[in-house]
Amino acid sequence: MSLHEELKANAAGYVLGGLDAHDRREFEAHLAGCAECAAEVASLQPVVSVLATAVPQVTPRAELRERILGAAAGLKGADLDGGLKTRPYTVRDRQVSAAMTWLPLAAAIVIAVGAGVYALRLQRQVGELQARFDQAQSTTAVLAAPDLARIDLQGESVAPDARARALWSRSRGLVFTAANLPPAPIGKAYQVWVVTAQAPVSAGLLTTDPTGGGTQYYMTPADIAPPVAVAVTLEPSGGVPSPTGERYLVGMP
Amino acid sequence: MWLLAALARMHPAAESQAEDVESLRRLTSGDQGAAAGLYDRHSRALYSLILRIVGEETEAEDVLQEVFIQAFRQAGRYDPSRGVVAAWLLMMARSRAIDRVRARRTRFEGRTGEVLLNDLPDSHPDVTSAMLGDEQTRMVRQALDELPLLQRIAIELAYYEGLSHAEIAERLEQPLGTVKTRIRLGLLKLRGVLTEGQA
Repeated sequence: MSLHEELKANAAGYVLGGLDAHDRREFEAHLAGCAECAAEVASLQPVVSVLATAVPQVTPRAELRERILGAAAGLKGADLDGGLKTRPYTVRDRQVSAAMTWLPLAAAIVIAVGAGVYALRLQRQVGELQARFDQAQSTTAVLAAPDLARIDLQGESVAPDARARALWSRSRGLVFTAANLPPAPIGKAYQVWVVTAQAPVSAGLLTTDPTGGGTQYYMTPADIAPPVAVAVTLEPSGGVPSPTGERYLVGMP
Repeated sequence: MWLLAALARMHPAAESQAEDVESLRRLTSGDQGAAAGLYDRHSRALYSLILRIVGEETEAEDVLQEVFIQAFRQAGRYDPSRGVVAAWLLMMARSRAIDRVRARRTRFEGRTGEVLLNDLPDSHPDVTSAMLGDEQTRMVRQALDELPLLQRIAIELAYYEGLSHAEIAERLEQPLGTVKTRIRLGLLKLRGVLTEGQA
């Protein structure tokens, strides 16, 4: 393969924003002098812009409008176009976040020092982080796995409001949390599937509370093929070896 | 009239674009009242994209706020020659949302920020973006659903998760070359739908 062909293979990654810094610089240098690659990039850009809108459309909560426009009204003339003055996510934040045990305290200090305007919002976040921390402790083994993957599941047409998240590590197993599932009829149960390129593998049954929520930990075989999806189906109450019933939730890594 | 109709088909967002540009102009001259119009026209699309990327409502709300505040502050930097306001906002939304997801990933994986920053894919490609009309968007969305699963997954991991080719290869346990090919074939197929649509 010529260098040009090798670089042209990166055009798609470039428009998707998927090249690492080195490959991107190399590609941009090539792009400046290569009409063919420039044409490929130009022709792929409209496709990528569609990806931005090719997502389920969700209206934000009405309260958010007030909050954001309120914050906008607080902007002074001097803030305008003078560069980004919102506090960006920095490396230091990430390190602070890693020290989970004192995170709530650290966050509280940040509130007091830096962001009076955002105090209420941050306080709420601290509460949520605390709750998330408590929850995380029970599933630390999975969450701390170096190979953690997150898969969000959306409700299918039988249960459009249902949502779920799978946190999966090959070495440590699967933590599965679902919400808004309709109650399973008598004699039926929800079953969680890890779908691989070969076949769906049963993770186990999922019991839900009266609100249709449930969290469960499952072991998955260490030699399982990489999952291409996670799904939930409604099956006879003891579960089945391969899915037969209607799909309620599906998500891809 | 036919000319207007044809123009509207070519630039479905033209009217909104004119209003958006006017809103940004007012913001630049200090009229914060112009913020509401921008919010009302774009909050749904931006929030939907952000939610798709960060996967959680509270965080999506925070990112949406960051994006609008950034847009209001940098209204004067918008350059119409580089694309419509809607595309400018969506690009900012994707960048910020992916920054969040990356920060979270770093936290889980315990990697240091310095190492990570060096091999981050660029979530801010310097590109001109056009917006397509509803019909074209619908066609591409449908084509995306019809792509072979692994092509679709690779594209989604790159666009919505901000993963580099190398990271996708690692995640899917496939050779780097295979991943590059899948992404390219997938995008070419989506592009094909658009070309047919225009013919």
